[in-house]
Amino acid sequence: MDQINQYNPNSARAKYARLGHTLGSPLLTGLLVIALILALVFGGILVFSCNALGWLAIGIADIILILIIYIKMLFVKVPLGKTDNINDILSSNVLALLGQKPTVKMVASSLMKTRSGNFLALRFGLIPRLLEGVASDLPEDMVPIFETSRKIAKKINASQISGGIIAIAIIENHPNHEEILSRMRLDLGDLYEGITWYNYLHGLVKDSKKKRRDGGIGRDFTFGFTPLLSRFGQNISASRSLTTKTQLFRASNQEAIAQMTEIFSRTGRQNVALIGPDGCGRSTIVNAFSELLLDANSKINRDLKYRQIFKLDAGSIIGGTGGQGDIERLVTGLLNEAYSAKNIIIYLNNAHLFFENGVGSVDISNLLLPVLEAGKLRMILSLDEQRFLEISAKNPALANVLNKIMIAPSNEEETIKIMEDQVPFLEFKHKVTYTYWSLKEAYRLGDRYVKNVAMPGKAIRVLEDAARYARGGLVFGESVSEAIEKSEGVKLQTANDSTEEKNKLLNLEKLIHERMIDQEPAVHAVSDALRRAAVGVRNENKPIGTYLFLGPTGVGKTELAKALAEVYFNGESEIIRIDMNEYVESTDVNRLIAEGSVDAMSLAAQVQKHPFSVVLLDEIEKASPQVLTTLLQMLDEGILRDAKNREISFRDAIVICTSNAGADVIREKIQNGEKYENLKNEIVNQLISNREFKPEFLNRFDEICLFKPLSKDDLGKICDLLIAGVNKTLAPQKIAVSLAEDAKDVLIEAGYDPLLGARPMRRIVSKTVENIVAKASLSGDISSGSNIIISKAEIEEELK
Amino acid sequence: MLTTGLISWWYIDGYKLFASRIWTKLGDTADFFSIGSLLRTLFAPYRQISANASGNSIDAKFMAFLDRLVSRLVGGVARLGIILFGIIVIILQLILSIASLVIWPLLPVIPIICIILSIMGVTIWIK
Repeated sequence: MDQINQYNPNSARAKYARLGHTLGSPLLTGLLVIALILALVFGGILVFSCNALGWLAIGIADIILILIIYIKMLFVKVPLGKTDNINDILSSNVLALLGQKPTVKMVASSLMKTRSGNFLALRFGLIPRLLEGVASDLPEDMVPIFETSRKIAKKINASQISGGIIAIAIIENHPNHEEILSRMRLDLGDLYEGITWYNYLHGLVKDSKKKRRDGGIGRDFTFGFTPLLSRFGQNISASRSLTTKTQLFRASNQEAIAQMTEIFSRTGRQNVALIGPDGCGRSTIVNAFSELLLDANSKINRDLKYRQIFKLDAGSIIGGTGGQGDIERLVTGLLNEAYSAKNIIIYLNNAHLFFENGVGSVDISNLLLPVLEAGKLRMILSLDEQRFLEISAKNPALANVLNKIMIAPSNEEETIKIMEDQVPFLEFKHKVTYTYWSLKEAYRLGDRYVKNVAMPGKAIRVLEDAARYARGGLVFGESVSEAIEKSEGVKLQTANDSTEEKNKLLNLEKLIHERMIDQEPAVHAVSDALRRAAVGVRNENKPIGTYLFLGPTGVGKTELAKALAEVYFNGESEIIRIDMNEYVESTDVNRLIAEGSVDAMSLAAQVQKHPFSVVLLDEIEKASPQVLTTLLQMLDEGILRDAKNREISFRDAIVICTSNAGADVIREKIQNGEKYENLKNEIVNQLISNREFKPEFLNRFDEICLFKPLSKDDLGKICDLLIAGVNKTLAPQKIAVSLAEDAKDVLIEAGYDPLLGARPMRRIVSKTVENIVAKASLSGDISSGSNIIISKAEIEEELK
Repeated sequence: MLTTGLISWWYIDGYKLFASRIWTKLGDTADFFSIGSLLRTLFAPYRQISANASGNSIDAKFMAFLDRLVSRLVGGVARLGIILFGIIVIILQLILSIASLVIWPLLPVIPIICIILSIMGVTIWIK
């Protein structure tokens, strides 16, 4: 093993590589070319002027030419050797860096000079400082590095050992590599994927330099002119770049292309309907198919070769004409032109827009159906699967005449590959560099939060959005989270990212108690749920928390929900409150799940707009059983389907249902001194036996919290909170109010009602304290800067 | 060692690489002129100019026939022109390619020949 991994600085390849490194600069090559021309011209002039020294100049020109050829064809990119020895399989730019006696540390510090090393440094964080930190100073330690590099190259099917592979080998050979990588949220598999990604992009660049053969100068002589199509359509075949090639990473997409080729090669109906959700890659398939048709080397039927695909959009056709009659005349003209030209395949993008009347769409199925049935003009239709079902129901003849190819969304592995392929274009467009972590986050978060678009479209859309949040030109995982937070209105950055957030979460109970009294079990339960969510240890396929608050009226059930929204969910406006006593009929389910365009205040619509919020379903016991059944999946999986069967995610919401059911029993038992902990099971069993709730409904909640009736002590604290509220209102006028101790006792006595909780106290404070301040203000007894102390007598006077 | 390696590369691997590049370039030129395709469709109607001629009367059919005939003749002339031009270009490129392949092995020897010619005092004199 040691022998084949022994680096020899005097091998021919190593010497060539070092020569290439020294001589391969474009400046030197330019100077050599100038010298070649000068020597040749000078020599020619001398020879033709009877001076034999001119031959020497020509000889020198020849030597320069040979040198240029060596530099360009051998030194700059030294071909691989023929053995398995490390000297034969190291890439030329690595060989050029190694020098006479390389150590791992020396190599680590210079790997950024190789393209693959630089690639891994930028996108995976394998920067020289990190590599140097885990590298040794001993030359003999290069042997195990080479051995690991060899294994990695074999594993990823690489023909040579590049700088990137050596960087990975340096990390892999460190005993604590797992810990080092996990700190960077990576593992070895990610690094292998990274170098495969680099090799793929490198291959693309190499391929782009090759000339594509696409039929040549006489290719289109046999085919007709298409002025109308050129005006109203888009020639996809012409717009495909001659240097790039659409890659199909999905076996299913390759199968789709094979099916399209087969359908268009045989006799029969010459149409293909690509059916799949938006974003699943239907256009990519059409682009790849257009490239296949134009590729002189492709193994397809000669009758298909060099056919060109024209995309027609309903929008441009409607925009370019007047009424229905004009549209039909135009489409007839377009189809006639395509048929006459003999080399056109019509591509109806979002074809459903040609089969229905509406804004931006026009129903010309009566025109298209005979064309599709006759099968003389090749056509590709791309349709959303839901729209296809609607069209099929409306027009079965149309559905029957289509050759359907179903396109499914891509899985994670395929999506990552597709993103890796698209990243260079996005980077060029947005002038940023994407890290590998950002790609993985784009998949994870896109899959969770982006709706109405399928993979890989949604992940690519997220990547594009994330470019706006790049830091120092780099798009990190955090940039993706930020983009999703801004576009979807959710909270993704974990508490680890902010000290302020950490403090808020650690003191959540205290902050909540600044506006509500007692009810410790419920406050603890919701606070714990938020802390779990904030550090990412919760189940992400459920809401943040689901709670049923049971207890008498006026004890703080709704107030806790409001306090939560204010403290953690960016203010009380982020509370979505639904009074379930408005959903007592079974038909009310429709209102609950109505889509936003029909009812903006439906539960589904509000959560779709504000997914990061507190959802408060008040008086849940009054809702009809059908409504409660509809809510089961939401409580269990965080998903509610709206009227159009679209998934509405509740996975970033905290769901609180309140109920007065069992309130009398709770009050009675607590007043009789029964312990809270023993009471819960009893109350739940009673609710089930009384048929107020079904067991499967109650079982869906993370926790059922009982709210205790308020004691007089509690009421005293509530009184303090209410006075604090009054002071907050008066703060702009610089007026402060306080109560004499005996005055507070009078208020508590007057505001205490075990049946109604804190609400009477609120009314009493309004009636007394606020009235006293108002009168004093009007009579001029108080002015800015006053501090009023309200006495018992004043309160009693107001209570009369 | 280095010199031996350089010389052996020049006459074995380098020569193969050079030859393959020349072959690729010839292929690119042949593809550009698409002579095979032009020959196959030599008398096909040019750009389908006659494709829209229709009707059932004898006059219309005769006009369509004439249209097609003219279109085919135009196509034939255009294609023949390109075929001939393409053949000339390909032949010229082929001659240059063969010359390059002959010169390649001689390049390392040329400096020695030049020194000899210089010592011998050989010149080219033009009146």
